[in-house]
Amino acid sequence: MKINKTFVSIVSLFTMLMVLIHTPLLAQDVPAHAITNVIVHMADGSVVENSNIVWRNGIIEQVGVNESIPFDAFVIDGGDSLHVYPGLIDGLATWGSPDIPRDLPRLENPGKPTYDRAGAQPNRIPAHYLNEDKSIEAAMKAGFTLVSLGLDGQMLPGHIQPFNLSAAKLTQAHAFSDPLALQGSFDTAPGSWGSGAYPSTQMGVMAYFRQLMYDASALQEHMMYFENHSDMSQPEQNDVLEALFPLVNREYPLFFEVDSKEEIERMFRLQDEFGFEVVLVSAKEASALSEELKARNIAVLASLDVREMPDWLEKEIKETEAKDQEKSISSDDQADNQDVKKMELTEEELVFRLKQKQAWQEEINNLATLVKSGIPTGFTSDGLSPNEIQKKINLVTEYTSLSKSDLIELMTIQNANILGISNRVGAIKEGNSAHLILTDGPLFEKGTKIHVQVSQGVINDFMED
Amino acid sequence: MKNIVNMLLFLVVFSVGSLAQEKGSVLIQNATLMTITDGIIENGDVLIVDGVITGIGTDLSAPIGVEVVNGTGKYVMPGIIDAHSHLNTVSTNEARNPVTAEVTMEESINPNSVSIYRAVAGGVTSIHLMHGSANVIGGQGETLKLRYGVSQDEMRFADAKRTIKFALGENPTRVHGQGNGIQPRTRMGVEQIIRSHFDEALDYRVRREAYLVAKEAYEGDRRGRRVPPVPVAKNLRYDVLNDIIDGEILVHCHSYRADEILMLMRVFNEYGIKNYTFQHANEAFKVAPEIAKNSAYTSVFADWWAYKFEVYYSTAYNATILNKNGVTNSINSDSNELIRHLNHEAAKTVRYGETSEADALKMITINPAIQLGIDKMVGSLEVGKHGDIAIWSGHPLSIYSKVQQTYIDGKKYFDMLTDPADMRIDVDSDDSYREAGFNTFIQGREEDACMSDVFQFIKQ
Repeated sequence: MKINKTFVSIVSLFTMLMVLIHTPLLAQDVPAHAITNVIVHMADGSVVENSNIVWRNGIIEQVGVNESIPFDAFVIDGGDSLHVYPGLIDGLATWGSPDIPRDLPRLENPGKPTYDRAGAQPNRIPAHYLNEDKSIEAAMKAGFTLVSLGLDGQMLPGHIQPFNLSAAKLTQAHAFSDPLALQGSFDTAPGSWGSGAYPSTQMGVMAYFRQLMYDASALQEHMMYFENHSDMSQPEQNDVLEALFPLVNREYPLFFEVDSKEEIERMFRLQDEFGFEVVLVSAKEASALSEELKARNIAVLASLDVREMPDWLEKEIKETEAKDQEKSISSDDQADNQDVKKMELTEEELVFRLKQKQAWQEEINNLATLVKSGIPTGFTSDGLSPNEIQKKINLVTEYTSLSKSDLIELMTIQNANILGISNRVGAIKEGNSAHLILTDGPLFEKGTKIHVQVSQGVINDFMED
Repeated sequence: MKNIVNMLLFLVVFSVGSLAQEKGSVLIQNATLMTITDGIIENGDVLIVDGVITGIGTDLSAPIGVEVVNGTGKYVMPGIIDAHSHLNTVSTNEARNPVTAEVTMEESINPNSVSIYRAVAGGVTSIHLMHGSANVIGGQGETLKLRYGVSQDEMRFADAKRTIKFALGENPTRVHGQGNGIQPRTRMGVEQIIRSHFDEALDYRVRREAYLVAKEAYEGDRRGRRVPPVPVAKNLRYDVLNDIIDGEILVHCHSYRADEILMLMRVFNEYGIKNYTFQHANEAFKVAPEIAKNSAYTSVFADWWAYKFEVYYSTAYNATILNKNGVTNSINSDSNELIRHLNHEAAKTVRYGETSEADALKMITINPAIQLGIDKMVGSLEVGKHGDIAIWSGHPLSIYSKVQQTYIDGKKYFDMLTDPADMRIDVDSDDSYREAGFNTFIQGREEDACMSDVFQFIKQ
């Protein structure tokens, strides 16, 4: 199904003329856009057929079956068969981030590194580091309309800031809002053995993090005192510590990338000490701590980077299937042979395999378990390309209770909730920003193509090529 | 076959996985009890109820529902305590600064290492998980109970004294002096690192306390005439150093040579630090009376030396000489292999120096407990102490004896008769069967466990 471009052009021409003629009389000087006759997928998973969507100035004005189309609208006709979904949101990506520097010079005293050499750069803001990155266009083509960008780094790489994916080359003008969180991890100071620095271990990172928080508290207090007492010594200018004030004051969440159960537990220790809000990022073993996460009201931006089942298990399943097929026509001997083959494994290996199977099942079910436990769960691309994401979606929906529409929910409204921007994005409704995608079939199904991506009202038509 | 496997998996998942901090009850009857602090009791019974030893004697009866184990012909002794181990660290050395008192092994515990189970199978119930020896003042240690299958937090020995690692000699001078061209490059430098950091910590304390007093006065001044103080940030490193000076943290100092042992005692006397332990201390025998006079402790190897220059002057009589001089000495492993048979290491003191069997056993039970500040809770069979015990097939100092069962808090963590085929936990879906979870002891003893994480670094 192609969009009726002739129609669009005629309407456009007409609209232009009308605008020119009636400019002094028009209250709204920016023309509207509309997508008509489409199947709209709502935030709650429900579907409305033959629906129209109208937006102006990047804001959705109308959604519904019988909505009239403003006379000045650029119209895309969905011809009753195209689907519209809310634009996908990537909870955290580092596209456009400068690479972590290699070949760092050896430090004279690795025990007292500068903040950046220790891995603490909370003062960095993504808007200042928007390098060209092919991942951005690829993500747009895959249906993403908004991303919260972080930076590549270590312990504290910088701020997290959402951007509209309305152009392949992002600039500060594409920022959806100001930064809304700080980014963190247990990654140690950058550098190789020769050029590394303190902290070089996870326990070191934890201690260094604490010290930063103490130093930031003291600086903030000094600044507050100085405001009313200019006769006291002047506080130092320290961008790094100042960037931590929102965390010290518990005004900002910390988006913390962590996977193993033990590391998540260590994260809890820091949270207990400083009381800030935490959002876990990646969190591949988070479901093992579901109850604790729920009690702490911690949300998760989960990675979809699950692994295929172990080779031996895949082989075993195939053999069982083949055996089942042959069963009706073959004798019992063949079945016995299979059992004999299995018996050749030592008892230890058999037990190991059972444990491994269980481990894989827990791993692939991480997301499903989090959702089932009622933990606010969203999605981060976590370095996966759109192709890889599609593969992982297939894997997760094949082996867990999650459906594709569950995953779409994580990538839209759930992510918007976690980022604290659900008053503007994540669902198709009046008053929200126009973040939409137009597809020719159910999203993530084989063969479905994304025709148009709309981010903050800006249309990118990928079928034009 | 499948039923057996399922049952085994059930045992693994449900007996180990759900043990979290559980305490158990058991009555062991008619065994030879090596009490450690009260001699040997023949044909004796030990009753553990809810994790605590409630009875030692003869003809004890089990409360309803408590399992009874027939100990006829067997020996019961308190669980072995290893005062020097890196058994299940995540990382061992934060080797980028000569002083890292602020880091703690409490945050470097891997509760899933199969080495834990192997140590339990050797009758060990508690270990002192230590930072490595790369730094003059390394990280804080963590005393653990080897409750295999619980979380990292549940492995911690509640109410154990806080500890910290110091290191003298070749390791810190090699890493920081030769490696980075900073102090300390010599043994003199090592001493000055300790002194200067204690002095800085004391100075910080004065400044910090003065600030807190001034802050309170400022905030309580309703007229607003006072000038606020310049804040002095809390300093984690100096806080820990002050806790050492205040006696709240026990120092365990990696050391070999007699001269550096004397040096540290001089320094500690000046700062009023007591109750510290010299780890390794291969030349401690040369200064045993001085160590005894300072009420310091030693924790040594039975017979391991010559792995670097400062460890050449050594003797298998070290433990015996220290013991005879009244030094509270323990025998440690510092190795994931040796920890499985610390009874043999203790027996060597009997073989070489004719240390009494009773004293040899103290070196792996009550003496390390004293050095870790947990001797009121473990280290001997006494009513009121924790039910951390091992049942041996014969005399624990015999080369032929094996551990049959190990209990921690009265809960059985090892039983030779029902020892499952595969005790790995936290198996990864991508692991190979042969490699998953196995670690170095299979290839033999590590060259210098205290220096793990840093060998690559210092070669550059």
